[in-house]
Amino acid sequence: MSQARDLIDQLMNAAGASNGSGGPRGRSGMRRPSGLQGGALGIIVGIAILAWGAFSAFYTVQPEQRAVVKRFGNVIGITDPGLHFKLPFGIDEVQLVATERVLKQEFGFRTEDASALQRTRFADEDFPGESLMLTGDLNIIQVEWVVQYRIGDPIRFLYGMRDPTGTLRDLSESVMRRIVGNRIGSDVLTIGRVDIANTARDEIQAAMDRYDNGIRIITVELQDVVPPPRVQPAFNEVNEARQELERMINEATMQANQAIPRARGTANRIISEAEGYATERVNRAFGETARFTSVLSEYLNVPEVTRSRLYLETLNEALPRIGRVLVVQDDQISPLPLLNLPDAQPRGQNLEASR
Amino acid sequence: MNKLTLPVAAFLVAVFVAYNAAFVIDQAEQGIIVQFGEPIGDVITDPGLHWRVPFIQEVRRFDRRLLAWDGAVSQIPTLGREFIIVDTTARWRISDPLQFLRSVRDELGARTRLDDILDSVARDIVSGTELEEIVRSADWQVDVTGLNEEELSALGAANLERPTKGRQQLEQEMLVSASRLMPELGIELVDVRIKRINYIDSVREQVESRMISERQSIAARFRSEGQGRSQEILGDMERELRRISSEAERTAQEIIGEADAEATRIYGEAYGADPEFYNFSRTLESYDSLGENTTLMIRAESEFFRYLESTTQP
Repeated sequence: MSQARDLIDQLMNAAGASNGSGGPRGRSGMRRPSGLQGGALGIIVGIAILAWGAFSAFYTVQPEQRAVVKRFGNVIGITDPGLHFKLPFGIDEVQLVATERVLKQEFGFRTEDASALQRTRFADEDFPGESLMLTGDLNIIQVEWVVQYRIGDPIRFLYGMRDPTGTLRDLSESVMRRIVGNRIGSDVLTIGRVDIANTARDEIQAAMDRYDNGIRIITVELQDVVPPPRVQPAFNEVNEARQELERMINEATMQANQAIPRARGTANRIISEAEGYATERVNRAFGETARFTSVLSEYLNVPEVTRSRLYLETLNEALPRIGRVLVVQDDQISPLPLLNLPDAQPRGQNLEASR
Repeated sequence: MNKLTLPVAAFLVAVFVAYNAAFVIDQAEQGIIVQFGEPIGDVITDPGLHWRVPFIQEVRRFDRRLLAWDGAVSQIPTLGREFIIVDTTARWRISDPLQFLRSVRDELGARTRLDDILDSVARDIVSGTELEEIVRSADWQVDVTGLNEEELSALGAANLERPTKGRQQLEQEMLVSASRLMPELGIELVDVRIKRINYIDSVREQVESRMISERQSIAARFRSEGQGRSQEILGDMERELRRISSEAERTAQEIIGEADAEATRIYGEAYGADPEFYNFSRTLESYDSLGENTTLMIRAESEFFRYLESTTQP
């Protein structure tokens, strides 16, 4: 500041000196101060004009920008990032366009300004006017999407049409509705997403080219594609029912998977037991017959003695255990009880008595 | 002083006049010089510095760029008497500024004329068309055969025919119909597009209710299908269980039978050698196994008693 004041003082002194040199030619001392003031004013105005000219003679273009330079309203060129000079006093005008930045437009939702936040926040409100549309089977569907674009040609962007971004908005809505309207709802909800996004990008780009507004569509991305809010619970119900279907099938299959191997095991057990029985049966038959055959061969040597011996031995073995022995004779009607003591005596004594 | 003041004043006047005589046409503009309300000369379309007679001629500027028109949202009944909300948008440019100046003066005037024309054109075309025609496009192709049962039942009674015209052709018709009136306005209409179509609120609620009931019927079918499939699986299981156990039972019985037969054969072969001795020894064996409470009846003449009566040899 003080430097500037010094400069002004010096200039004023210089002006005073020149006026002073004219003084001897008859200028009165009375008029001197006003002459000094007028001169200073002129000089200040001159400096201001010079400063304006100097400051308006150059401009800076940021790295992501391109500058469109106009001379008397006529576009004379585009300049790249850096410091540039132009004709001052509004002869050359510069319009900066962020050509390298990827811009986006959101449909059906809005990202809130997230600069202060770590995470992207979305506005809670919906934009049903943008997102609700009709599908080809005349159902309603809610589609949210994003269009990412870049300003490919700054001159066309500025002078091809007025409000190109607004037009991009309108066109995006129109194109998306046409594409969604040309498919049935279930298709849009499931398999059609990628196809819809690609077709939308191509069609929007084609429209932008037709309008020659310099916008390059980078991508169209579908976000939430859902049935309208009131219908969503019903859609969820279908999903739940489908899960329930799966669950019931799984449960039944599980039950079958549990029961059948167990039944197979049981079956194998029954068969094994039968086989065991069979082996046992045959073996016993072999054993018994072998024994019989052996005894028989000996018996055949002396049949009479052996026969009596076997008979008596057997009775000898059996009689002590047997409770009562009745002796019967052919000519008697009732059997004659032999040793009927057991009826009157305890069992132990009975056994002794029967010996 | 007077010597100095005159040139300065003359210079200032010259600058003022020059400033009034010169005008700039921007890249985005085109201009017409108007003198006392009367257009003079050709339309100035090349941007840059131009001259006019100062003070008596003025310049009317018009945008040279493509301009957007956004229609009012209007409720229109279709041919099928469904009320829908239609929002149209169009692009236009001032193609003949002289005509434009004469007929509508400025953009505001043009806008009101466009509102009238385009709204009525949209109304005419939409109200003469079925809703499907407006929603679908000429390249409509829905392959019903590729759909699963759920999707098919969701389609319900909706017809899936290809539209005879389709949205794009309807938009084209709007453009052609509206463009007929444009030359006298000095306007060129570039395109007309339907931006939004939707049901009015009351219809929308009905449609949503229909969608809900469709979904609910699908859900109910899924549930009963689940029950059916479950029963089917359990039935299969029951059949399989019975098959397995009966087959096992059968095999077991076969094995047992074979073994019994084998045993019978073995016994038969062995005992057949001396049936009488077999009977004898088998009887003895069964005596051996008599229990404690058995009552044994023996004939007095039997061998057991023979020696009790007499030890002498007969």
